[in-house]
Amino acid sequence: MAEAIGLYLPRASFVHRLHPVTKLAISGFILVAGLALPGMWSPYLLVLFGMLPLAVLSRVFRVLASRTWRIVVPFMISVFLIQGILWSGGTPLIGFGPISFKREGLQFAVASTGRILIVVSSFLWFALTTRPDMLMSALAQRGLSPSLSYLIVSSIQIVPRFQARAATILDAQRARGLEVTGSMLRRMRAVVPLVVPLILSSLIDVEERALAIEARGFNHPGPKTSFVEITQAGWEAFLQWFLVLAMAATLIFRFLSR
Amino acid sequence: MVPGTGYGSHAHLPVPLEIAGIGIMITLKGVTYTYPGTDSPALQDFSTEIPRGQFCAVIGPNGAGKSTLAYILAGFIPHFYQGTLQGEVSVAGKNTTTTPLGDLIRMVGLILQNPFNQISGTKVTVREEIAFGLENLGVARSEMIERVETVMALVGLGDLAERSPLALSGGQMQRVAIASVLVMQPPVLVLDEPTSQLDPIGSKEVFSVVRAMASSRQMTVIMIEHKLEWVASFADRVIVLAEGALLADGDPEDVLANESVWRQGVGQTRYTLAGRRLEELGKWKEGKKLPVTLEEAVPAFRKFQKQV
Repeated sequence: MAEAIGLYLPRASFVHRLHPVTKLAISGFILVAGLALPGMWSPYLLVLFGMLPLAVLSRVFRVLASRTWRIVVPFMISVFLIQGILWSGGTPLIGFGPISFKREGLQFAVASTGRILIVVSSFLWFALTTRPDMLMSALAQRGLSPSLSYLIVSSIQIVPRFQARAATILDAQRARGLEVTGSMLRRMRAVVPLVVPLILSSLIDVEERALAIEARGFNHPGPKTSFVEITQAGWEAFLQWFLVLAMAATLIFRFLSR
Repeated sequence: MVPGTGYGSHAHLPVPLEIAGIGIMITLKGVTYTYPGTDSPALQDFSTEIPRGQFCAVIGPNGAGKSTLAYILAGFIPHFYQGTLQGEVSVAGKNTTTTPLGDLIRMVGLILQNPFNQISGTKVTVREEIAFGLENLGVARSEMIERVETVMALVGLGDLAERSPLALSGGQMQRVAIASVLVMQPPVLVLDEPTSQLDPIGSKEVFSVVRAMASSRQMTVIMIEHKLEWVASFADRVIVLAEGALLADGDPEDVLANESVWRQGVGQTRYTLAGRRLEELGKWKEGKKLPVTLEEAVPAFRKFQKQV
């Protein structure tokens, strides 16, 4: 019954129980393959035969689809309109008076939408199914610096807090008569009294946060242990290596086939 | 149960062996500290001794050097902050300047003002949050589980074990912060205004837990605090700082009724305030001690009952 942390969605699925690094390798491979494989349709095929079954298996299909949709669709519409119409010197396909959609422009739009789609969906799938704290412990066990993994995981968690503070500062400044609506110039002027307190108060917090984690032994020398048990089946280690090699192979293929 | 605290005392934590024979837990001799980039010292020629198991409150106006004292006791001065530290500081028989911070954090637990900033931000449940310090110390998982459960019972967090630490009230979060430090079993606990962002109920919870630690576990507690009425009823001793120097030191009843302390802008409890008003009206018996706590106030004010 833990409340949502970051993007993680607790579900009783087989995928949720996988080792974080296994999921990192899977989404990393799909990402690399989607960006590196030739052909404008290959990201779509990967989404259809890779991401879709994974999302269903992880029981996050609905959330994954709706969040991906919300990010990708606005991008897709603008890229289709802009690249389709403004592509210079291409083959016109359909025309409305002086405006016409060019074949090359549309191909470019399909390819870039595919890339965005694969980036967004693979990242979201990973974030939805992986607990950030487990990821942190797992990465630390694999030799990643604890400071780096702390930085990554805590920033994901701190975002809502940061937003809440920004809202408080906004309210406070408006209560003191700051105009935040109206002309562009007026809005621009309102930025400074909003941003400065936000940054300063966050910097003050940083000192206290640093003291607090230091007091809990964050920089204590010697090996750390993990409270949550992170288990890994034997085949997972195999899969991880396989995916890393497959990523390397895809990249090599990509550079050789130029 | 510890009477009046609401927290179980049956869940005892072992006292670390190395400090079992130590009577004086903290010794400061002529301590002067100046922050980098400032001219005048934040704490000047300060000396004191604090015996084991004492609950010592530190009060004083803003800028009196209270937080500085907390950082000195926890070893963050000189290990975290630069600046110049003179004099001698020893905690549990160890010199804090020559002992590495990694060893000092096992001796002194530090709890700060803002509960939110003390949550690591990397854990999903309260239980795991409390274990964070033990993970860093490399404690074995089985021992970790046992210690975390014990501390949660001690601090009254059992019901919240599975909640997200970021989704709690301020008082609950501060209790998680305290549990997170207690689980590391430091013999000394330093709290820097731990109730300043809490409501009255949350503040009382913090005082009760800390009192229970000092009484049942022989933990030495140094608590910087502004809430004088609770200082008066919970602490064993009060140290008053003003402008970086010691102003008064002694039993809460004596120190808090002291007029020079009150004149320094420290404030006074409402019982003392009422007594002082009677004194001004010429109705208080000359030389009679002013009350500090409710327990003292009730008999002292009884004879005025009819006149009101």
